Amino acid sequence: MTIFNEIRQLAQSTSNDYLTRARHRGHPTVGYFCSYVPEEMIHAAGAVPYRMRAVGSEGTSLGDTYFSSANCSFVRRVLDKGLRGDFDFLDGIVFMNGCDHNRRLFDNWSYAHPDTGFNYMLFVPHGRSEACLAQYGNELAKLGRFLEERFDTELTAEKLWNSVALYNRKRALLQEIADSRRSAVVPISGTEFLSLMLAVSVVPVEDAIALLEQALAEIRAGRIHTEQAVLRLFVTGSCLEELSHLELLESAGGVVVADAICLGARYFERPVQVGRDPLAALGERYLRNLSCPRMMDDVAGRIAHVRERVSDFGADAVILEKLEFCSMMSGESYISSHELRKFDIPSITLTRELYGGGVGQLKTRIQAFYEKVINRS
Amino acid sequence: MIFAGIDIGSLTAKAVLLRHGKVIASHFEPVKATSLASADHVMGRVLAQAGLRIEEISLTCSTGYGRLEIPFADCNRSEVSCHGLGTFFSNKSVRTIIDIGGQDCKVVVIDSHGMVEDFVMNDKCAAGTGRSLEILARTLGVELADLGRFALRSRRPLPVSNKCSIFMELDVMQLLYQGKRRENIAHGITVSIARRIASLTGKVTLQKGICISGGVSKNAAVVRDIEQAIGVTFTPLAHDPQLMGALGAACFAEKEYRRRMEGGKS
Ligand code: SF4
Repeated sequence: MTIFNEIRQLAQSTSNDYLTRARHRGHPTVGYFCSYVPEEMIHAAGAVPYRMRAVGSEGTSLGDTYFSSANCSFVRRVLDKGLRGDFDFLDGIVFMNGCDHNRRLFDNWSYAHPDTGFNYMLFVPHGRSEACLAQYGNELAKLGRFLEERFDTELTAEKLWNSVALYNRKRALLQEIADSRRSAVVPISGTEFLSLMLAVSVVPVEDAIALLEQALAEIRAGRIHTEQAVLRLFVTGSCLEELSHLELLESAGGVVVADAICLGARYFERPVQVGRDPLAALGERYLRNLSCPRMMDDVAGRIAHVRERVSDFGADAVILEKLEFCSMMSGESYISSHELRKFDIPSITLTRELYGGGVGQLKTRIQAFYEKVINRS
Repeated sequence: MIFAGIDIGSLTAKAVLLRHGKVIASHFEPVKATSLASADHVMGRVLAQAGLRIEEISLTCSTGYGRLEIPFADCNRSEVSCHGLGTFFSNKSVRTIIDIGGQDCKVVVIDSHGMVEDFVMNDKCAAGTGRSLEILARTLGVELADLGRFALRSRRPLPVSNKCSIFMELDVMQLLYQGKRRENIAHGITVSIARRIASLTGKVTLQKGICISGGVSKNAAVVRDIEQAIGVTFTPLAHDPQLMGALGAACFAEKEYRRRMEGGKS
């Protein structure tokens, strides 16, 4: 059994033995949403950060009693799982105002109060200016005080720098694995890479590092992703966690070689710069890392990033992923597709429901898009 | 050499045989329980028409929603590409195709070789497709084939929503309840569908030489109203517009055959 089998199993499960063992050693599990919550702070407080996801979702019937059908299927499915007790192993959740749907998720979660410990809302500014950075710093300090009180600990600079070192190591390993896809022979598919991301974001960082080292060793030993790629793809967009969706993209002949999604480059690009003040370093990295569409003042930066990566990784086309009713991606996908067209980069917006149906029509769109891109060459 | 194209759509199955760049047989019929049964049957019909056996077909290409479930197809292409190449085969001046099928509508822009340059498809909603016309005709109490005739007799289309099939149906029921003339309701339906299609066409840059294909293109009232909505006169096609997908698939079969002969990878 290769390490990728274990990774796939971890990716498809809500909880896992690593978390159970950590709990037995006295490390509680704290869920968090979005890429703007510094995991280092949760880790330094003695807990294991757990990236919230809807993996294994059985539907939205319970979530729909709190959300309207005009809310995105990510928040509806995650709440549904919470109400079914799937996250009862959590000791608390740090929510974040990523978008209004996520903001509402906090309200509904607090109101329905499933047995998942505390609910904390981290307010992150929607921009990257100096004023936003200062405000984000205040919010991180507030989160720090909350965690200290909650876990009866002190977030010393030493503890925080220790956590930063571990997470920087994890980022570096992920970066190296991601970079291996620059070559013509792609060692790992986009589906496998997403599995890796799903897995290492729900286990203690020390275990994640061990898993990544094994995965990297396999890649360095000459692993080849066997499917023949007709097209090299770059994927960006909002919440994307379904392995089945990337499988659909890749089974039609494409291979995802790079991305700018939350469970991808947005997570691991750019380390935290070690300096004098750990909270300032975390603030700088998390607020000013590769942004997501919620950051209204960085559309041009995101487009520039896509262009740069498309060229670096030799991608033939860009897939803009959007969940139905995603307020963040509605404008972004429109602007991106128009901007990319100016640079002669073909793109397609795929709108879907998280773990939803409509596979037949998606397949047709994907195949037609690939055929269109191939016609150009 | 003979090439076959099979298009298994959501409502109809179509097949075309090509020899020396000419259509020698074609047929369409309602789909059967499975894609395979539909493909078997429609293929049997064109082979019988041409007096051929399946072994005499050099290569078969499938398209449509059932394209991946046909074991005797040697290759498959998306219906977007097939409609592009099929209409181009039928009229070389075509550069934009509005295709309205059973459960989807698409607008395809092609280059001077019939290859797709850009396309847009409707989302999951069926409003504006053949299926929604079928439902609305039933609500109105007329045969699908008569809906267009009714609409053509009217000069005063009544307002019918173009947002979703359910709202369209509710509007039709309400208008019937109010005792409005069925001709005017039918006209309202065709205008509403035309507006829906027109909004889809706004998402791509239309190129001159616009034609309409798919089953709904046989509804003269819908065709007239779309022409009015987007301000064009459709370019005529030399073959049945419902066969464009299958015709394009047959053209792709021929291309694929030549590619394989030249030693290209499959
Ligand atoms: S998919 Fe869009 S709307 Fe839904 S939680 Fe993610 S960013 Fe928010």
